[in-house]
Amino acid sequence: MAFLIAGRIFGLLCLIVIMGSIAYYVRQAQGGKVPKVRRIPGIDAIDEALGRAVEMGRPVFCSHGIANLRAATSGPQTLAGLSVLQYVAKQSLQVGAELFVPVRQPEVWPVAADIVETEYKLAGRGDEFDPDKIPFLSNQQFGFSSNYMGMMMRERPGANIMVGAFWAESLQLAETGSRIGAMQITGTANTAQIPFFLVVSDYCLIGEEIYSAGAYLTNDAPLIASLAGQDIGRIIAVILGLLGALTVTFGSNILLDLFAM
Amino acid sequence: MSDVLRRIEIPIALTIIACLLQVIPYYVEIPALESAANTASNAVLIIVACATFVGVISIVQVHGKRIQRQSEGWYYSILVIGLVVIMALTGLPLPEMGLGVNNSVYNWLFTNVQTPLGGTMYSILAFFITSAAFRAFRARNLEASIVLVAGTIMVMGNAPLLTNYMPFIADISLWIRSYPNLATMRGVMIGAALGSIALAMRTLMGIERGYLRGGGEE
Repeated sequence: MAFLIAGRIFGLLCLIVIMGSIAYYVRQAQGGKVPKVRRIPGIDAIDEALGRAVEMGRPVFCSHGIANLRAATSGPQTLAGLSVLQYVAKQSLQVGAELFVPVRQPEVWPVAADIVETEYKLAGRGDEFDPDKIPFLSNQQFGFSSNYMGMMMRERPGANIMVGAFWAESLQLAETGSRIGAMQITGTANTAQIPFFLVVSDYCLIGEEIYSAGAYLTNDAPLIASLAGQDIGRIIAVILGLLGALTVTFGSNILLDLFAM
Repeated sequence: MSDVLRRIEIPIALTIIACLLQVIPYYVEIPALESAANTASNAVLIIVACATFVGVISIVQVHGKRIQRQSEGWYYSILVIGLVVIMALTGLPLPEMGLGVNNSVYNWLFTNVQTPLGGTMYSILAFFITSAAFRAFRARNLEASIVLVAGTIMVMGNAPLLTNYMPFIADISLWIRSYPNLATMRGVMIGAALGSIALAMRTLMGIERGYLRGGGEE
């Protein structure tokens, strides 16, 4: 096992078990056995928010966060945010809502624009797609947030959906949305920002819920099944947590040694 | 040929290869793979550098149209485009021509415009926190009351005037931070990590396609 890097073997084992269980449940779903998934009110409320914006004659804002696609912890959050954007773009077209997608990262801008444009083309309304409604604002964190806040004050959206990685600007954006009376659905896995979103928004997706959003919204059996595989990882985490608390309490370092393997 | 290039399998295959190139060398020591992973990372940096121009194009498009149509506040757009051009030109990496990060105009704009503006935006966060706290700290039910009590103790625990006379408040504040708060945060972090693994697995299996042209059904 000399080619395995020391200190990472246990992590690799856990990863293999979790990935294996996800693959197993996906295969099961492809065979017709789809597990039930609990309702996530924040995701269910997206349609309501879009409908409300249309009724009020106001536009919809949707942000996939300010992170790029490369960072280890925040990149997946951007991917999750883009999955939500796809759904919001599709539904906005169906209900006739005007959609704005402010972007911070230049490398994510073409992806976001492509997602929205494709939804227009799929709806047979490709000529109505307006790239100006997916503006790149600034790659500076507060340049982006001041622009976003300014846009919100001018356009006065009826719904503001923000799912992805956010940092200090989270409260600035959500609080501005709250002041103009927008229905807000937010979500992030950045633990320091979750309290801000919880306080200010109507619905908040907490941590892992944002990663489930894409699967939940598409209602695609294999995607839904992957969430059940994820639960195996949760069970492992709970068991290891309890065992860790017990062994350390009784003076044993067996689990710590195992983790350092 | 163009039909082949537009096939959804190509970006999926590229994503899978890129994912594996980053994951495998983290656990397994194979010099050839490490070298390939570094090459891929460098390629990504080049793509990102090129993408910066895409951002500039978007800014010029949006603000250019605003100036052309003389929409509300169009004169601000002139300022935006003007500053983008000045920063881009003076920041060109050509030190032999006096350009680049040491250029005096670039430095002046960065130090006297961008930095204070960023600092100002960050500092107004204090007012947003205050108004958000005012909304959150209302004892409407049991949960909100717990938030109110915990929040009040945390605020008091960070006020030296109070902790000087009542040091036990700092202890309670530290306990809240170290146990209930930390335990909850770790729970959220573990859940988020698992969600991230599931997303990666779905991407590796080619079934998560939200980031690909709206699911790649075009």
